[in-house]
Amino acid sequence: MKTRHELTEILDFIAEYATYLLGSGVHTSRAIRNSQRIGQSLGVDIQLSSFQRSTILTVRDDESGEAITRVVKIPTLPISFERNSDLSALSWDALDEHLPLREIRRRCDELTAKPLIDPIFVLLTVGLANASFCRLFGGDWTAMAIVFTSTLVGYAAKQRMQAHGVNHFLIFIISAFMASLCASAALRFDCTAETALATSVLYLVPGVPLINGVIDIVEGHILIGCSRLINALLLIICIAIGLAATLLMVKDSLL
Amino acid sequence: MMETFWNTIASYNAATWPVQLVLICIGILLVTLLCKRPSRGVRIAMKIYMALLNFWIAGVYFLVYCEPRQYHSPQALFWAIMGCIWLYDLIVKHASLARNGHHRYFARVLFAMPFLYPLFSLALGRSFPMITSPVMPCSVAVFTIGVMLAFSERINIVLAMFLCHWALIGLSKVYFFGIPEDYLMACSIVPALYLFFREYIQAHEGQATKPSTRVLNSLLGILCLIIGGFVLFTLLHQFNLYTTI
Repeated sequence: MKTRHELTEILDFIAEYATYLLGSGVHTSRAIRNSQRIGQSLGVDIQLSSFQRSTILTVRDDESGEAITRVVKIPTLPISFERNSDLSALSWDALDEHLPLREIRRRCDELTAKPLIDPIFVLLTVGLANASFCRLFGGDWTAMAIVFTSTLVGYAAKQRMQAHGVNHFLIFIISAFMASLCASAALRFDCTAETALATSVLYLVPGVPLINGVIDIVEGHILIGCSRLINALLLIICIAIGLAATLLMVKDSLL
Repeated sequence: MMETFWNTIASYNAATWPVQLVLICIGILLVTLLCKRPSRGVRIAMKIYMALLNFWIAGVYFLVYCEPRQYHSPQALFWAIMGCIWLYDLIVKHASLARNGHHRYFARVLFAMPFLYPLFSLALGRSFPMITSPVMPCSVAVFTIGVMLAFSERINIVLAMFLCHWALIGLSKVYFFGIPEDYLMACSIVPALYLFFREYIQAHEGQATKPSTRVLNSLLGILCLIIGGFVLFTLLHQFNLYTTI
């Protein structure tokens, strides 16, 4: 039987763990499964219901029937598949090895303290990825090079604006505008300029919220699924606004 | 297209050469003051000058004199954004513009480069006003790189990326339109970019990020080699063009 203090400790850890997962781009049912697995290893029942910005968590001791509930804010964190995978593996370790809470917390802290990817490395690789997209959509070498440097401009601006805490939607509009404005330079050369223009903003497409939104809806978490899809849709509209501003300027039309 | 290109340059030079002279003199004075007496006032004046120079290229060069060229307004906006970045830099005090003592010789070469542009044009058989001058986009871009290398402790990465993009456009201009003057820009940006990024990587060496400094430096080296390869390819293409002619 758990004391109230022990239950609170478990709840606090699960709250931190689950919101970390949700904030790092994990879909809802995976966060619930992982949290419940840790709860199972500690001999408590965990119920979790998540919204776009917050999560409601309940920990219940089956023996005493005592339950504690908390509402926790979901932090905005950089998406890291490596970290998500590590934290999922931790939940299995907790169950298989019957780890005590202190050990689970120690391992969790170790995993979340792992070094992040260098922003310059991200900048260069995002540029290369977007140039590859250009190639996939039929762009030639000149268009690819222009998309590469345009992405560097747009993404560098995005990183700086994020560091200065500029509004998320405004960041997407400005980044899309800058990248497409730079890519519009391709129109002056004999190359696949249309492809360069269209693919210059692809690095901004919110893939993770879109995929998670669909998974959440399919798995029955309709509310958060819809919230994620609406959020993704708003970001796509922001990208469209940025691209449209460039198109209206360079081509006097959107087509 | 080439005719329009050179005609716009000729009309710009013919109409603005006195202002260009004034801008050049102010530039020389500010660079000298930054080297000899880098006071707060001089640093502010330099940032205002850089913003003004970028707005000049945007407004006077692209919007007024390059109007006959296609797609001149996006280019004007491109330079106006760079001007805004300098103003933003001035407000938030990002770049110190204090002499950092790094890359002294390379920076001197870059400061001399805007004056090489007209000489290069003259050597190619052109005559005033149909020549590239020190107050034109590519010369200003090279000068900006020189200022950033010689006087910035913290590189403004967005501005560096803008200049990198402009250098690539310059390289494409050499390839497609045969304007060899733009080689000066492309040749200076590759080592400058390498230095920018290497300094950034060194400055962040102690931070807990991955991949390691060695991997980042290798990636940077490979990227610069690829860009260098592009420069070489364009050069060979030019030689081929000239031999065909």
